[in-house]
Amino acid sequence: MNKHSLFPERGPAFWWTGFTALIAAGTIFILFVSLVIESVPVFKSQGLSFLWGADWFAGEAYGALPMIFGSLMVTGLAVVMVLPFALGSAILTSEFLNGRLRLVVKAAMELLAGVPGIIYGLMGIAVLTVWVRDVFGLIDGNTLFTAGLLLAVMILPTVMTLSEDALRSVPGEFRDTALSLGLTRMEMTLKVVVPQALPGLAGAVFLGLGRAMGETIAVMLVIGGIDRIPQPWFNLFAPGQSIPSKIGREAAEALGFDVQWSALIALGLVLFVMVMTLTSAGNLLLRRAR
Amino acid sequence: MNSRLFKERILLGSLYGFTACGCLVLAVILILVFTKGGLAISTAFLFEEARNFGLEGGILYQIAGTLILMTGAALVCLPVALGSVLFQTEFLHSPKLRKIFRLVIYALNAVPTIIFGLIGYLFFGVFLEAGVSWMTGVLVLAVMILPTLHVSIHEAVESIPKHYREAGLALGLSPGQQMRAVILPQSLHGIVTGTLLGLARAAGETAAIMFTATAFSGVRLPQSWTEPVTTLQTHILVLAQEAANPVALTHAWGAGLVLLTLVFVLIAATLWIRSGLEMEAQR
Amino acid sequence: MPARFSRKVILGLALVLFGTGVFLQIGPGGVTHALAQDSTVIRIAGSTTVLPIVSRAAEQFQTRNSSVRITVNAGGSGVGIHGTGTRRLDVGLASREITSKEKNRYASSRLNTTVIGRDAVACVVSSEIFDSGVRSLSRQQIGDIYLGKITNWKQVGGPDRKIIVIDKEAHRGTRHVFMKYLFGKSNARAPGARLVTGSNNEEQAKIAQSDSAIGMLSIAWINNDVVGIGIREGHQVIKPTLKNVRAGRFPIARNLNLVTAGQPRGVVKQFVNYLLSKEGQVFVEVSGYIPIRSPQLMSQVAGSHSK
Repeated sequence: MNKHSLFPERGPAFWWTGFTALIAAGTIFILFVSLVIESVPVFKSQGLSFLWGADWFAGEAYGALPMIFGSLMVTGLAVVMVLPFALGSAILTSEFLNGRLRLVVKAAMELLAGVPGIIYGLMGIAVLTVWVRDVFGLIDGNTLFTAGLLLAVMILPTVMTLSEDALRSVPGEFRDTALSLGLTRMEMTLKVVVPQALPGLAGAVFLGLGRAMGETIAVMLVIGGIDRIPQPWFNLFAPGQSIPSKIGREAAEALGFDVQWSALIALGLVLFVMVMTLTSAGNLLLRRAR
Repeated sequence: MNSRLFKERILLGSLYGFTACGCLVLAVILILVFTKGGLAISTAFLFEEARNFGLEGGILYQIAGTLILMTGAALVCLPVALGSVLFQTEFLHSPKLRKIFRLVIYALNAVPTIIFGLIGYLFFGVFLEAGVSWMTGVLVLAVMILPTLHVSIHEAVESIPKHYREAGLALGLSPGQQMRAVILPQSLHGIVTGTLLGLARAAGETAAIMFTATAFSGVRLPQSWTEPVTTLQTHILVLAQEAANPVALTHAWGAGLVLLTLVFVLIAATLWIRSGLEMEAQR
Repeated sequence: MPARFSRKVILGLALVLFGTGVFLQIGPGGVTHALAQDSTVIRIAGSTTVLPIVSRAAEQFQTRNSSVRITVNAGGSGVGIHGTGTRRLDVGLASREITSKEKNRYASSRLNTTVIGRDAVACVVSSEIFDSGVRSLSRQQIGDIYLGKITNWKQVGGPDRKIIVIDKEAHRGTRHVFMKYLFGKSNARAPGARLVTGSNNEEQAKIAQSDSAIGMLSIAWINNDVVGIGIREGHQVIKPTLKNVRAGRFPIARNLNLVTAGQPRGVVKQFVNYLLSKEGQVFVEVSGYIPIRSPQLMSQVAGSHSK
């Protein structure tokens, strides 16, 4: 059988599916192209200083640095806080729990991964900001730390299930060999399984980070909303601003017009590049792990 | 040997500790939503219109709005996702093009949701003149959940055993007949789970619709294409900002509970279907 | 596998769709009925200060004119003006005047404002600060707080506690008016700010949740947790009361505006006229602002809300 007899005719099925594929591809194309084209005006008027300007005041100056800083900061905080819990529970689930219990944990995590961002936002504003203020003795609880903590809780289920998958995918022979060499279960896990699964674990973390960095609502309600890099910069308990939160707050005002709109789209472009870097790194690592 | 055992115990204990902490935090979240939200829930709350800026009455039209946006998005997205997957697997022979297609879908999955709102508004709202309306919201969400549906359907189609296709070919089926007789029925689970996950994602989304599809008050059911709706997500957003007012917070938690239940039911349904599938595969 | 499985799946899907359908039908009239109805829509959005008036009035207006439907959205004065300028809105709400920049930007829309009420912007503090003795501040002091020159309440006679300065988003009407009073420039910067909020609701909540905050708020949003302090001018202290605003004594007063592209026409005109009528002015008063003409006695309007 040659190729031609496999698909002898370009019948209605071909045209129909081709049409929908064209719609899908076209939409995605338009999305990416407008993201670039619409951000041109602000680069024209501000030059590259848009990227490292520290001052943002609608109608006067557009500097994205505080937002870029804020996004990196909350995402970094989130990963530091989520790591021990996500990896710990992933290792426990994959190596020490029996099959049934494992399935229950996995199902629960998949459910929890779907909790909408607005629920976390509500919790952040009603409970967490007050809690952070009182526990750390701050004058106010709307800080980068609060946002990072909220994000850590939010991505915990995602990072945990993906890490668990990565650990499970380490072939059984490795475990058998390790055990036959007289290692204990824990030694086997830490010295053999985890190193073997490392690319997969890293991939899981990167994907979680991508989600954290793109989250709007939960962060917007607790971060403080001020477009400023804290003094000193490592002061976690100062308010700040992340890129999605900034866009969320200003989009309605600028909808579709003027340099301000272009500046917001350009912020979106910067965010996309950052998230894309994280997720493609994650996907690459995950695929290599398999 | 003893110290080795001791170390082992300590490590295992810390693993249990971390896991317990993680589970505890997540449990606290659920308990918070269910206890605080439970206080607000009543038939009146579910089936009455919101009054006095959401401080009185219920969330009838908010529920309706969320349902409209999410089902609309899934209905728009499903044929496009299904068609493009079939085109990719059945007609696209060049491995290079297939790879590009897959990469583009992955890239779309990485786009932060707020960007769908920005560009979606520009394209659907301004260019297609739908304005701030439920139609814009549906289209924005449809693009947003495209990767979810696409990946799920694609996996299902790819996993169809080769001899099924060969049997179809041996019978002399045309590509269209092949799709109807073999591929669609065999990948139905992927189509359904993908759609359910897409629905869940659309129901939980706030950032992409808050300035493209919703209004704050005076909204009931849309009576034309270009009217805004009100949704559970944006309702919670507005009420959450009145955090000092206990009534507003109670209503926000109530709306949150309804939203969470909706999302959980959708995800649980996918898990149920998948587990049923695994069980049948084991037979 | 396929037969049993697909039955389960189809059953599940059917249940979801059926549930949605049933729910939508329960709403008064149901979707099918609603979609069949013919009606005009007035799209309104903007200032959260003006929103309560318009939202309440719209509710009443719609019960009388069942063919008209009015959607009201928040966002801020900038959103109202921008939306009207770009014709996305039929009526924009603004708690400030249109800037000359905005006028030029939307020249083709010939923006027109209709004043429906008067309001004042008060300097507000957390109740704990008020109770500890900070009852009034001078313009200089408030200005220095916003500039970051004064950072502790003890510098203005309060407790030894850091000041949490709350700023608003740049396009908000309240901020324009407040900054204009403090610094003579509606777009002045506030380097002393710690938090930036959007709507009146959000700012009110942040101040109430805190015990050492200062902010700017329409007088209608003042309550037990968020207290308006007096403005000190020379030896005299002017409290932010409706009486002082009405008498023209309180220094930070403003108009509450409806913005339209050109003169209001058709149903929009009807609605604007309703707001200006004796009956419509009741909603201005009920919402805590000053009507521009004496409203009808409240008891005579059925279904008016109290705040």
